[in-house]
Amino acid sequence: MTEPTLSAEASSAAGWQRLPVRARLLCLLGPVLPLLVPGVFGGVALARALDLWVIPLVTVALAVMLGTWIGLKQYRYTYWKLDDEGLAIRRGRMWQRETRVPITRVQHLDLKRGPLQRMRGLATLIVHTAGTRHSAVTVPHLDADDAERLRDRLGRQIDPDDDA
Amino acid sequence: MTTPDTGLPRSDTAAEHRLHPMSWLFVLLQQLKQFILPLIVLLVFGRGDRNELWPLIGVGVLVVLSLWQYFTYRYGVAGDHLVIRSGLLERSLRVIPFARIHNVALQQSLLHRVFGVAEVRLESAGGRKPEAEMRVLRLDDALALEALVRRRGAVATAAVDAEPAADVLLALSPGDVLRVGLVSNRGMIVVGAAAAAVSQASPRALPNLAETVGEWMFGYAGEHGFGVGEYAATGVALAVFAVGALRLFSILLAMLQYYGFRLSESGRRLTVERGLLARWRTSASRRRIQAWTLYEGVLHRMLKRRSLDVDTAVAEDGRQQRALRELAPIATPQACDALIDHLLPRAAWSSLEWRELPASSWWRLFLPSLPIVLIATVALEWRLGAWGLLALAWLPWSAFKARKHARRMAWCVNDDVLAVREGWWRRSWRFAELDKLQALTLTRSPIDRRCHTATLWLDTAGAGAMSAPLRIRFLPETEAVALYDALSRTLARRPLRW
Repeated sequence: MTEPTLSAEASSAAGWQRLPVRARLLCLLGPVLPLLVPGVFGGVALARALDLWVIPLVTVALAVMLGTWIGLKQYRYTYWKLDDEGLAIRRGRMWQRETRVPITRVQHLDLKRGPLQRMRGLATLIVHTAGTRHSAVTVPHLDADDAERLRDRLGRQIDPDDDA
Repeated sequence: MTTPDTGLPRSDTAAEHRLHPMSWLFVLLQQLKQFILPLIVLLVFGRGDRNELWPLIGVGVLVVLSLWQYFTYRYGVAGDHLVIRSGLLERSLRVIPFARIHNVALQQSLLHRVFGVAEVRLESAGGRKPEAEMRVLRLDDALALEALVRRRGAVATAAVDAEPAADVLLALSPGDVLRVGLVSNRGMIVVGAAAAAVSQASPRALPNLAETVGEWMFGYAGEHGFGVGEYAATGVALAVFAVGALRLFSILLAMLQYYGFRLSESGRRLTVERGLLARWRTSASRRRIQAWTLYEGVLHRMLKRRSLDVDTAVAEDGRQQRALRELAPIATPQACDALIDHLLPRAAWSSLEWRELPASSWWRLFLPSLPIVLIATVALEWRLGAWGLLALAWLPWSAFKARKHARRMAWCVNDDVLAVREGWWRRSWRFAELDKLQALTLTRSPIDRRCHTATLWLDTAGAGAMSAPLRIRFLPETEAVALYDALSRTLARRPLRW
């Protein structure tokens, strides 16, 4: 389960970091599970209507495949970067989206670890800003140590003398 | 926030103030609002059955609770914060630093005005509920509290006349209030509320009314067998009547809400007062303004006016009238510019160098209307036959609009503000100080990648869900990335000031 993820500090100059390989399975589960629900129900409904009981198997397989495909893409095209200016997250390939939270704009941070994430040594970092549309910027399935380092680094920057 | 009453020693609190002696009445009324209608119905239509008076016991309990609140609620000033004590059994002590209060709202309904009292709400940024809600204070107590917040509690003993005199920045004349009504669609709210109320009372009332009116009209028309011309004239007359009625409602509502609108500035705080029967008075520090929107619709242009709105980062709960939102419900373009120049002197608003976006991207503004028009055409064709094809006439207009829009799109940035200009038919300018920007996002859709453009989204606090986003669309990719990097560097250097 060890793999060569560079620590945030060491490679911040090098630039973008990928999610650890351990995160791949969780990235897959993300889109697969929600797709399974319509896959199962839609399949059963169709099968009842047409009296063809292969359909659920097909729809479930389709849902799993589609979810896997989306998940793999999400896993492959999620990058993050921490530098002196703040945290940046780049996501997507068809629809590319890069969000940057300047270090001075960090309001507070959340570190979340679900049971599956704990088993694999991963964590989700949520950076809150005072903004409206991007009030919570999420970096899913980070390496747990990296996530903690990020939290400490970004958390340290929160201005102590906020005299309003 | 319920903390045990061990925080501050009592002597720390300079003076303890109470609510107005009649406050229990207003608390009671507030709580009764939801019961009053069923109660009246019961009393009026009750068949003398004693059991139906049971709810009165509930009212009695409410009276006791209201009195309770009056006797236990007190507030005072200690240094630079406000201390509020409440509760008799479960004591609560709330400490609010004056510096944290973003918005002070005074509200006076007609009844409040009769008693010379006001409801006060102190709001901080974020959160859903106000920091403190005082129902109700005597008007001069309320104003004194507001002044206290303005001076951040300093020198509580200083006389009121020692304050800097308030400069009136904008006052609406009755004519202007009329214009506010003309350009707004607030009348829809009245119609909607009336429809909702009627259908609440009786679910069949509205359909019945529609049926009766329809039968009457079409029966009349059918009996007399008018020609096409008469039908068209009738249709136009009905439409004119409907629009006229809507405008009339809008004007009435504007009169109620905006009569005597006055924007004034004293020190760093801006205060807006308005209202004919009920009065609102909201004040917030100039610094709390997060983003600005200057808007000009078609009607605005005909009247040679614009409106200027701002976002403040205050818990709003969808109740717009509380927060400081409208700096100028309506004003001439010059007045708006002067207001911005006055409030944002460093931004150099009137001498900004606007950078236009490539007008060749007009087709991308046109693109979304294509599927909508096609679907509408198919649907109409199916219903009306060949006449449905008329819907296609929307396309040239849409293309024309898109071209005009694309030619007007522009953005600019200097050391202090970033501004985006959009729209042609309905024009808007949205801008924010760099210090108030939060996260930055750069997005590229597949079309963007083909055209080598990108969209830059800038987030600010307190933007409403309905308000236009602060974004630069169709920015050439190299420019977009350069701007994104430059802004990110700037923001990382400058602390957030909100």
